[in-house]
Parts: sequence; structure tokens; C-alpha cells
Amino acid sequence: MVSKARGLFGQKEADLEFGIETQTHLQLLTEKFIRQGMDPKDAWSAARRQFGNTTLLRQRHRESRTLLSFPNLFLDLRYGLRMLWKSPAFTIVAALTLALGIGATSAVFSLIQGVLLTPPPYQKPQQLMLIQTARTDGKKMDSPRGWATLQWMEWNQKLGSFQGIAAYDWTFNFLIRNDGSQSMQGMEISKDYFRLMGLKTALGRGFDDSDFGQGHVKSILLGYEFWKRTFNGNPQIVGQTIRISRWDSSPVVIGIMEPGVRFLPSPGAAKEPNYDVNATVDLWVPADPDPKFLKEPDWNVVGRLRDGVTPQRGLQELAALTANEASTEKKFEGFTPQLEPITDEMNRDGRRILLPLLGAAALVLLIACGNAAALLLVRGLQRQQEYAVRIAMGMGRIGLVRQVVTEGLLLALLGGALGVGLAIIAVDLFKVIAGHAVPRLDGVTAGWTVLGWGLGLAVLAAFFAGAFPAFRAFRLNPMEVLKDAGPKGTAGIGERRLLRGVAMLQTALTLALLVGAGLLIRTMMKIAAVPSGFSTSRILTMSVTDVQSHASWAPFHKQALERVAAIPGVQYAAFAWGVPLTGNNWPASMDIEGQPPAAKDSDMIALPLRAATPDYFKLMGLALVDGREFRSTDDEKAPTVAIVNQAFTRRYFPNRNSVGRTIWLGGRAPNKPGVLIVGEIANGRTDDLTQEPTPEVYLPLWQAQAFSKHLVVRTTADPRAVVVAVERELRAVDPTAAIENVKTLEQIRDDSLASRTFAMHLLTGFSVLGSVLTLVGIYGVISLSVASRRRELAIRSAVGAQQKDIRRLIFGEGFRLIAGGVLGGIALAVIVSRVLRSFLFEVQPGDPATFIVVGILFIAVGLLACWAPARRAGKVDPLEALRYE
Amino acid sequence: MTADRSEVLQGTLDLMILKTLHALGPLHGFGIARRIEQVSEDVLTLNEGTVYTSLLRLQQQGWIASEWGTSENNRKARFYSITQQGRKQLAVETENWERISGVIGRVLRLEAEK
Repeated sequence: MVSKARGLFGQKEADLEFGIETQTHLQLLTEKFIRQGMDPKDAWSAARRQFGNTTLLRQRHRESRTLLSFPNLFLDLRYGLRMLWKSPAFTIVAALTLALGIGATSAVFSLIQGVLLTPPPYQKPQQLMLIQTARTDGKKMDSPRGWATLQWMEWNQKLGSFQGIAAYDWTFNFLIRNDGSQSMQGMEISKDYFRLMGLKTALGRGFDDSDFGQGHVKSILLGYEFWKRTFNGNPQIVGQTIRISRWDSSPVVIGIMEPGVRFLPSPGAAKEPNYDVNATVDLWVPADPDPKFLKEPDWNVVGRLRDGVTPQRGLQELAALTANEASTEKKFEGFTPQLEPITDEMNRDGRRILLPLLGAAALVLLIACGNAAALLLVRGLQRQQEYAVRIAMGMGRIGLVRQVVTEGLLLALLGGALGVGLAIIAVDLFKVIAGHAVPRLDGVTAGWTVLGWGLGLAVLAAFFAGAFPAFRAFRLNPMEVLKDAGPKGTAGIGERRLLRGVAMLQTALTLALLVGAGLLIRTMMKIAAVPSGFSTSRILTMSVTDVQSHASWAPFHKQALERVAAIPGVQYAAFAWGVPLTGNNWPASMDIEGQPPAAKDSDMIALPLRAATPDYFKLMGLALVDGREFRSTDDEKAPTVAIVNQAFTRRYFPNRNSVGRTIWLGGRAPNKPGVLIVGEIANGRTDDLTQEPTPEVYLPLWQAQAFSKHLVVRTTADPRAVVVAVERELRAVDPTAAIENVKTLEQIRDDSLASRTFAMHLLTGFSVLGSVLTLVGIYGVISLSVASRRRELAIRSAVGAQQKDIRRLIFGEGFRLIAGGVLGGIALAVIVSRVLRSFLFEVQPGDPATFIVVGILFIAVGLLACWAPARRAGKVDPLEALRYE
Repeated sequence: MTADRSEVLQGTLDLMILKTLHALGPLHGFGIARRIEQVSEDVLTLNEGTVYTSLLRLQQQGWIASEWGTSENNRKARFYSITQQGRKQLAVETENWERISGVIGRVLRLEAEK
């Protein structure tokens, strides 16, 4: 090892030492011969004879000192660079090809690294289990439900397989500021939460027992990101009080949470307008369960398994205890716990979209590698003579392979560097276009990760692309090549078959990509053609909240509506809770006239509630089918009323009217006044464009008095033009009002389709890339084939083949290649298109129309790529070609 | 081909050199060559230069070490000595050799009896 390492620096010195050693040996040997009576002159030559060839020996020594050491590598690198420099066209094409593949793959890898592989900042997150609710009878839950304090407190005491249980809930409020209040999402947490999750504060202290208690919240923690964003990271904030809407007293900020802590899911709050489970937590609130509501299923629960305990065992114990609880308390009946590892829950959405995209990117990379390998191979053919001469001159085969591999590696590194550049751009682009499609994208950075992935992939690509040419170089027979001295740039049947195989494989991979893109494009077309039931154009929405007091609620909203409606260009204005496609609504359980009252909680009818001011239905284009719309007189003093949709009538009053019937929110009770249904509106796909309309109930906003809600404005022209005027009017009513999330309804619509759109754009991009690469590959293979068959073509035309026969011959070769690839691709696509199933809408993964169109289209385009070489083949002049040979 | 034959020879040569250094202590290349010549009683003729290839290889394996010194008649020469690792290797190789030569010997005798 030492002498090898010395080879790096002391090559000359080692040579010199070896020379001395040899000389000494020779002299001693000569002296020995002289002593034995030889003539000195003869003795010297005898010694040399007995010693052997010194030059060869020295050469061998040098080699074994430096077999794999740096000087040779350095030489190889220098030589490789020179070769690449001398043929810039080849270098650029090959490096760009690899760059596209590497760029695509490492960009998607960076997303995966940032979104899926970065663990949440909890201690041993794999032990953390969300305890979710399911029905004992196995039916789907109508609306999410949590657990009661009595239940999880008992679990915390009795469960042996858990280290502990903590409860939490989502909360939402505003930081009151005079120039527009700011929304905050927070977590209300039980005493054990921080300890159980293993969270620490970045500044100040966490909660202790004295912070928990009934009555006003006295102390809070702020989230790190919120603190940076809103208070510019000012450490002085710790110890001060802040004003929070809906709270009677101003709490003290006692600390700042460590960075990067996000929400755990609160399914019950998921329909709230500001709910974003992937956001970082702005506000932490200590929550002590209210002794009055110990049986209300208000809590989300998380538990930590003990070391070495499997989720199955934990669940068994938990389920037994819960069944026991249900047998003693009627309210708990009908529900059973389920365990979901926290990391699975966090990664579900990300995995659903990113893994198929990674697959697509890997296909692009494979296609690119195919092209690069073909390029290197063809180049290797052109350089056969050079290789043969090198071998004949005494270069070892290992050396030759090393040379070829080095060139492949250099090319890949060049491509890798370019690819990393592309990937960094792509990641930035993703962050702009995929904000709603990929969760926690804000945590992704295109930094060293991209570089690492890019270079790793480059080496992999070098291996793939360099393997064929290296193998060939290894088997090269210099005698054959030199004897042949054939024309450059031709290939034998073996190589051509290999290259055709590569191109066919590329075609197959490309076709799989194209089919994926085609399926998604068809899905988007289907979705665009779906009748939503409401209008999306010229509608502006924003969440508007009065943060002052309960008393100011009604005056604020009435004045605001009047002022906004008076703005020129505004046709209608309304407040609404549950704007279409935002996912907002208010899951409520209810009894409906004529339906049997539920025996237990789990059987109660649960429907989404929405609330709106009178002009809302006109504004949205939701037609009134029966009864009347809301009036401004439907306020807190008037009897409670509701409007339902057609789907509601069809489900609960088939072939009858629902107007005039009564519903009881939260269940029927003696002397409890019901809500009278006064109107019925047309169906709309308000929840999700891809879902059939479901029963809905609307309440008058003046009666429902929702805290969170949207201001919805229909304009006569571009809705964005009135944004400034609307904000001015709202501020004029109350400067502290919170105005956030200003969006047109079209934007909301696009956001609701974001993951599909993102998948479609990316797959389309990838398949275009793949197609271009493959077409270049096909072109290259057919060109090489024409060049190699020149002599055969010349003979054919000499014996009477017409130009069109020759062309047909070449097109035939191209067609067989492409058609073979397309067939293989279709088989491949049948398998891989299944991973897209969850993105598809009204299109089957095996959609024949898509397969046929894509297949035919690709064959047509592929034949175009054969056109130039076929033309060239037709023009072969037999005389010239034969003479040339 | 010559390469094949020298391959076999080299392996054996390595073993012989290791054994020589083990038995006689530090020696220079010339001394090693003489010793092998003497022991083999001229049955083995070898290009003495190959001793040095062998020495380099052994050194790269870490089985022998070398340092410069002066030979009998005051010439600068490199002296080689076996290392601890080399001793272990020698034991392994010796056992290997004996087992294999035993096997080959038995096989050859079988052939002869037929």
C-alpha cells in the first residue's frame, strides 16, 4: 500500500531505487561468475542473461506499482477530456441526453427526499400511532369522530403496550392587529403531548402543569416559523402578551417551539377553511379537558408504543379496553379504534403522487441511458482502429476498458453537472406549480441533495451507458480489425442487432410514458366536460373575518355587504361558509322528519352543512327548484330555516317534496324547535368535481353566524380588478378585519385539481422528453444501418432494385423496430398505468382508445425519424459505393 | 503462452522467498537468488529479475518490509525481511502447499498404478 501510494508522488524516485537495486544485483552476480573463473566480459553478459530483460522488468514494476493509481487515472481523464473536446457534437448530444434524464430524475428525487424521506421532528416517529375511529360494523363513517376524554384518559392509565397517550385538537384564531388581523392555526394539546412526542422549545419554556387548568388560557407557545414571519424572530416577544380573537384575556407567550413542527391530522376540523394539516403550527395552546364534557368525542388521540411492541399487539389491547368502555357507556357504542403510524399518515398524499412520478423520471433516465449507450457504442465502432492499434502497441485490455469506462464516466459527470443545473431549475419550478399538489413542499430545498442525487445518478448512468462499449472493447480482436481496415462508421450484424434492441426498449419505455400522459390528459378533458352545476367565472372569493366581538358580528357583515355590493363592477356580493371546491363545510349530525330516530350516535345521519347570505345562490348560478331563497329577514330573531339540494330530496323524500319538512340539528329532543326546509336548489358538485353531488343543507348565515367564511363577489368584468376596492371598503368598516386568501373561484377550481394537473404536466413533459430522445435513438440506429449496409444496398440497386424498393427496405426495418417497441410498450403500459388509477376519472387504466391513439401516433412519428436515412439509402450510387469499398 | 507459465512460477516463487526470509532473516535480492539457486540444486532456473517482481508484490501485500543497507562488499542494497503478517501468511501457504502437493502426488500415483 505504501509503495502504491508512493507511486503517486515518487514515481521517479522508485524507478531510480529500482535501478540501483538492479545494478547491485548484476554487479554481485558478475563478481560471482568471475570468482568462478569466467572472463570478466563474458561474466557481465552472463549475469545479464541470468537476470533477464531489465527494461521489461522495470516496465512491469512500474505497472504493478500503479495498476489502479492516480497517475494513470489522471492520464485517462486527460485523454478522455481531449477526446470529448475533439468531437464537440458527440459530446454535446450525449451530455445533454444524459442531463435530461439525470435532471428529471434528481428533481423528482429531491422532492421525495424533502417530502417523504425527511422524518418529522418527533423522537422515534416510527413508534407514534394515531388512534383513529372506525365503526364496529365496518361501514364507512359518515363524518369523522374523535374520542372522549373519559376514554383516552383511561387508556393512558391502563394500556401496557403504550408508553403514553396524548390528545390534541386543531384550533383557529386571529392575531389582532390594527392594520388587518392575521390568521393563526394552532394545536390544543393535553399535558403529555410535548413529552410524548419529544418536542422541545427553541426559546423560553414549554408548558408545565400550572399552565393547564379551566378558565382563560394564560400562556401559549408560538411556532418557530410563525414567530419568524410575524415577529421577525424577535426574542423579546417571550414574556409579552398578545391579543387573540375570541379570547377574553390576552395570554403570555412563554416560549417558541423548535422549527419544522407541523400538525397532526384533526379529521373533524378538516373541512374548516383554514385547515392545512401540512402547515407548520403557528400557535400552541394548553388544553385541560372540561369536566362538563368528559363524554363528548372531541379529541384526536396519539399514542406512543413501547419499545419492541408491534402495532398489532397495541391495537389488540386498545380494542379490548375500548369495547369494555362501550359496554358501560351508551355514547361510546359502535366505534372501535384503529392504529395508523404517523409517518404513513403524513406520507400518504405525497407517496401517491411522487412515486408514480419517480417511476416516470426513472423511465426517462433509462431512455437517456439507452441513447448515451448507443452513442458511445457507435463511437466505439468508429474508433475500433484506434483501439486495435493501441492493443497492438501493448496496451493491456484492462487498460483499454479503463479508458473506455473513464470516457463514459466523464460524459456522465458532464451530463450530471448539466442535469443538476436542470434539476435545480425544475425543483424551483415544481415549488411554484405544485404548491397544492404535493404536501409540505415548502420544506423542500434544491441544495446539496440535488447535487448528491445528480452525481449518484451520473455514476449509475455511466455504468449503464459505458457497460456495452467497455464490454466490446474488452473482446476486441485487434488482428481482425487491423486486417479488415474497413470503412469507419459501420457496424456488423451483431452490433446492429444490439442497437436495435436498445432502440426497441426505448420505444417501449416511451410508449408507457405516453400512455400515462394520455390517460391523464383524457382525465382532465373528462373533468373539464363535467357539468359542475355552478358557475366559476367572474367570481372573486376571500376569507373575511371580524375579529372584534360577538356583538359586532352582525353589524360588520351587514355593512360590509352593503358597501361591497355598491362598488362599481360588482354584480352580487354574499358571505358564505362552504364555497364550492374549497372542501369547506360543516359536518353535522341530524334527525330528518320521516326518518327513524337513531338508536345510537354511530347511526345518526351526518350531512355537510353550509351557510350563505340571500344573494349567494343567484351569484353562484345554483338555480332554485322549489320553495324560496333566503331573505335578509331570516336572521337570529326569525324562526330557523334551511335550504336543501336535489340530492337531499332524492335521498330522504324520494318522489315527494322536501320543502315544508323539518330537520333537527344534533338530534331530536323534546321541545327542541326544528329547522324548517323552505327551499330546494339544483345540484352542484360542490365538494369535488369528480364526485356525484351529495345531499347538502344550507342555513342562512345570519342565523348560523359562522366565524370563518368567505366573501364571494360576482363581477361584470375581470374579478381581480375589484380586489383593491373590496379590501378598502372592508377596512373602512373595520380596520382590524382579517382579509386573507384572495382567490378567484377559477383558481380554487384549479387548486382542487392540482395533484392531477401536476401529475399530468409532469408526465406529459417526461413523455415528450422521452419521445424526443427515442426518436433521436431510432434515427441514429437506422442511419447506422444504412451506412453499414451501403455495399448491400449498392448491389441491390445494381441488380435492379428501384429507389422505392430500397426505401421500402429501410422503412421496413424501421417499422419492425418501432412496431416491436410499441407492442412491448403496450404490454408494459397495461402494467404501469395501474399506478395512476387514483388520478383517473371516468377513464380506465387500460383505456383502449388511449392505447390505440398513442400507439399509432408514435409509429407515425417514429417512421418520420426513418425518413431521412431512408432517403439517403435510396440515393446510394451503386458504382460509387462499390468502388469505395 | 509464457504469461501462464510465469503465473504459476510466480506463486511458487513468492512462497520460496517468504520461506527463505523466514529461515535466514533479512537478505537482499541477490542473496535470495543465491539461496534459491543453492537449495534447488539447479533444478529450477529462473530469470533472477523476477525475484524483484515477486519482492514488490510481497511488499505490496505487507508480508515483507525493506530497508536500505550495505552489502558484503560495501554496495548499497535493499534488505528485505519478513513481517508478522508475512509469517502468518507463510504458515497458511505452507499448509496449502502441502495439502495440494499431497493431493497431486496421490493423483499422480493413481495414474501410475493403472
